[in-house]
Amino acid sequence: MRNLFSPSRAALLLFFLAAALLPLALDPRGHLIRVAAMVLLFAAMAQSWNIVGGLANQISLGHAAFFGLGAYTSTLLFLKLGVTPWIGMGVGAVVAGGAAALLSIPTFRLKGHYFALATLAFAEVMRVIANSLGDVTGGPVGLSIPFMGSQPALFAFRSVASYYWIILGLLVAVCAVFHLLASGAIGYRLRAVRENEAAAEVAGVDTFRVKLTASVISAALTAVCGTVFAQFTFFFDPDSIFSLSGISVRMAMIAIVGGLGTLGGPLVGALFLIPLEEVANAVLSSQAAGLSQFAFGVILIGAILIQPRGLMAYWLRTPWAKTRRAAATGA
Amino acid sequence: MIQALVDGILLGGVYGVISTGLSLVFGVLGVVNFAHAEFLMLGMYVAWFAWRYLGLDPLLGSALSFVIVFAIGYLVQRTLVQRVLKAPPAAQVFLTVGLMIVIENAALMAFGSDYRSVSVPYQVEGYRLGDIFVGAPYLFAFVAAVVLAGALWLFLERSWSGRAIRAVAQDPMAATLVGVDTRRTYALAFGLGVALTAFGGAVILPYITVSPTVGGQFVVLMFTVVVLGGLGSVAGALAGGIMVGIVQSLSALVFPIQLQNLCLFVIFIAVLALRPQGLIKGA
Repeated sequence: MRNLFSPSRAALLLFFLAAALLPLALDPRGHLIRVAAMVLLFAAMAQSWNIVGGLANQISLGHAAFFGLGAYTSTLLFLKLGVTPWIGMGVGAVVAGGAAALLSIPTFRLKGHYFALATLAFAEVMRVIANSLGDVTGGPVGLSIPFMGSQPALFAFRSVASYYWIILGLLVAVCAVFHLLASGAIGYRLRAVRENEAAAEVAGVDTFRVKLTASVISAALTAVCGTVFAQFTFFFDPDSIFSLSGISVRMAMIAIVGGLGTLGGPLVGALFLIPLEEVANAVLSSQAAGLSQFAFGVILIGAILIQPRGLMAYWLRTPWAKTRRAAATGA
Repeated sequence: MIQALVDGILLGGVYGVISTGLSLVFGVLGVVNFAHAEFLMLGMYVAWFAWRYLGLDPLLGSALSFVIVFAIGYLVQRTLVQRVLKAPPAAQVFLTVGLMIVIENAALMAFGSDYRSVSVPYQVEGYRLGDIFVGAPYLFAFVAAVVLAGALWLFLERSWSGRAIRAVAQDPMAATLVGVDTRRTYALAFGLGVALTAFGGAVILPYITVSPTVGGQFVVLMFTVVVLGGLGSVAGALAGGIMVGIVQSLSALVFPIQLQNLCLFVIFIAVLALRPQGLIKGA
């Protein structure tokens, strides 16, 4: 069933090869490489979301909670205790994983709309807490990471290219985790849960454990992205990092526009949406406040109405992609 | 304590009407409308403009909000929501989330980010009953909400369209068989749902300022009310609204103002987890 040199694999390899060669062509401190790094970071975030949203079809609207937990944990550990963000990143992943496990207890029976609502409320809880615990989190003002020049041990670099490499590595790692989960036993169990939870339960799948594993891994990876984001942008505040439309919806939207539950979906989605948004911002933000966000919403609605299965559906329809693993990608 | 209880009931009655619309939409169409709070914002803007340029008190302007937002909702359902009625929940969730982003930013473009408020003669007035003080704007909003809730009940109970809505909610197939135009009824229910919420937005204008992001303050509140009362239950939403109003004003006695909403969120997640069918059965 799995051909080592299938067209999809070739396309994936080509993507990463192009991504690896890209910095050579760009000014290492310029704006374009920053945009490219954002594309990869959002692809990694969407891929993390895809583990829960795509494989298990649990539509989370609260992944910003884990993203923010990652950013806050590493940044606070560094600012208050001087712990290097490299370690903070790991701690953040553990904290977010723990939070996801806790959240699983009340939400694991919920489906569809109800699950979306509960996760949305959870991210809102995080935002309210971060805003109100002023002496710990800096409150609504947010946190900024002092610029220290180039100190690799403290996750600080002068050149954007260095961040780019780290983010690329992160994306490769997240994609590898997704692939392992999707093609391994847990992937089959998750798909069984997605298709028919009661039947999966009867067939001997421990549905709670499977969903718990997926959501903990997804949350931990999202938190790592959060730490990287904080180091990359030097500044964040509760309303932006726990944002519903800015983070939670965007992560999900990239995966959906690309192709829900597919390995390539988040990559295609990020490659399509983030530059589009960047251009929209550059062209439209001078016109009127809100116009680029407006366009973002229109694209989301259009994507849902025109091709609810995402851009990957077009790829899967091409003759050279047809032969392969329709079964492995599922829906 | 009793003062807080009274405040809570007055607030909660309005929350009830605001959330009834959301519940109606879910009950009939089976779609959770994440954009619902944005229609509240639209209703508030209509009432604000009616006050500013026509000199209408928001309590009267609310009728205008109801009509205009009903028309918008009818069209939105016909052109967009209808297409995802049979789609999986993910498509429905993201269609309405997209709608939420579009409406909020359209308002930002059209009206700017300024906070706008009205001034009405009774704004700071109130009535005293022994130790209890009742603010006039809160009381009037509550009365308007109760009147509208009564009208809604009559409409659903007595009119042909109202019966059609209930029939479609119970069994769309059977309703079609007995001659109900389900598509029209879906649009009617959606329009009515958002119009109720817009009306609620208009009557609270005397004590809440409007801005393009005001919907965000109400999203979780509305969902909490609806989930408390049982998604899809109109009477439940009213009772849920009063409960939420009371919780809010009682928690204000104990917690600092920033943490007020936290209470709501925790109740919300707990109710979803323990009794997703709502605290109140039937209705």
